[in-house]
Amino acid sequence: MTATYLIKLRDFVLFALVQVLIFAHIHLFDYATACVALIFLLKLPRHTSRNELLIWGFLMGLATDIFGSTPGMNAAAFTAVAFVRNTLLENFIPKGFADDIIPGISTIKTGRYLSYTSICTFLFYTVLYLLELFTIHYPLPLLIGAASSTLLTMLFVIIAEFFTRK
Amino acid sequence: MQTILNFLIKHNHWFLFILLEGISFMLIVRFNNYQGAAFFTAANSAVGGLYSAISDVDSYFGLQQENSTLLAHNKELTQEVALLRAQIAELKNREALLTDTVVQNIGPGYRFHTATIVSGSSNTANNYFVIDKGRSDSISSEMGVFNSEGVVGIIYQSSTHYSLVLPLLNSKSRTSCKVRGDNTSSILQWDGNDVRYSHLVDLPRHTRIAKGDTVVTSGHSAIFPEGIPVGIIDKIEDSADGMFYRARVELFTNFATLSSVFIVTKEGYEEQKELERTITKE
Repeated sequence: MTATYLIKLRDFVLFALVQVLIFAHIHLFDYATACVALIFLLKLPRHTSRNELLIWGFLMGLATDIFGSTPGMNAAAFTAVAFVRNTLLENFIPKGFADDIIPGISTIKTGRYLSYTSICTFLFYTVLYLLELFTIHYPLPLLIGAASSTLLTMLFVIIAEFFTRK
Repeated sequence: MQTILNFLIKHNHWFLFILLEGISFMLIVRFNNYQGAAFFTAANSAVGGLYSAISDVDSYFGLQQENSTLLAHNKELTQEVALLRAQIAELKNREALLTDTVVQNIGPGYRFHTATIVSGSSNTANNYFVIDKGRSDSISSEMGVFNSEGVVGIIYQSSTHYSLVLPLLNSKSRTSCKVRGDNTSSILQWDGNDVRYSHLVDLPRHTRIAKGDTVVTSGHSAIFPEGIPVGIIDKIEDSADGMFYRARVELFTNFATLSSVFIVTKEGYEEQKELERTITKE
């Protein structure tokens, strides 16, 4: 049990560092950014409780915020994704699958995994940009930003699959 | 109770979610200038709007009291206006008295008062007027009443604050008059027909009068001083028995538009009346 948490903590630190040191500085075409820290949250095992997801998500968001000088914004977006993750994930896992599977291409097949991750990522960016603009009067820049960032992040989600332990 | 607790425990992730989002939101508005400014501006205007809505609703509950306060205030102001109007009217009357040429020509020994007509009639056989001065204003019966046009009548009776005026247009009215320039006095009497005319009924035949002569008070009765205008001789005819002239006098005073009047009394007249009464008793 403790070992599981330690592994999670190690992954957490790893993803947080990669995010704040490398990916936080990517701003493609002024719009697209990539959030690999989100992969940590999406790849937590299926049976992870909602409360645990919320805590991990909030902490990850907070870590990103502290280094990105955007207090609260990433934390709010991460918490929102963590809250709906399990519900979304259940829709993409067919009956009869093990309770402790880790979502991934190898476990739930490419199409389902990419649908699940892209929906979560799009939700994440929608919430994030909404808080960043702090208004609903500019829906077009918001949608363009969310869509382009989702595309960019999805690229890294796919790449990350090649590094996943079999 | 158990059901509610079970429900709360089952959905505890909702509370954690709301708590964490709340913390995030606080961080956002606290540490981000733009979002903080936007949030607090919106919050302030929302709170301001709420407060004004509350005070709008609240003011309706105070309307009852507000209304009664206003009514009381209104009553006070109305009373004050009425009082001031009365004072203005009084002052106007006094001013008219002081500047009146007829009054100025009356010799010493007379006292004057002013009054306003409060009710009366001028279209019946026995007309009367009520004025707003009475015994408390030292008005008593048998005082002369006139205005800037001419003679009005005499005080018939007085109560504490009001007096009854017997005008020339009353068949009971008898006023001692004379034609200006001739000292023969005669009685002015109303026949109850035309409010514009009265008659000098017992002019001796030797009197030299002509149409157009001015009729004034004689000063013999001690009610009126000498020389207050009454009217102009309009028509001269013989009396019924042929022993006197009967002169129709067109009155100066317009009784239909009468509003403020002067009251005149001879100083020491009470004493004179007292003395005359002793003779009557004997």
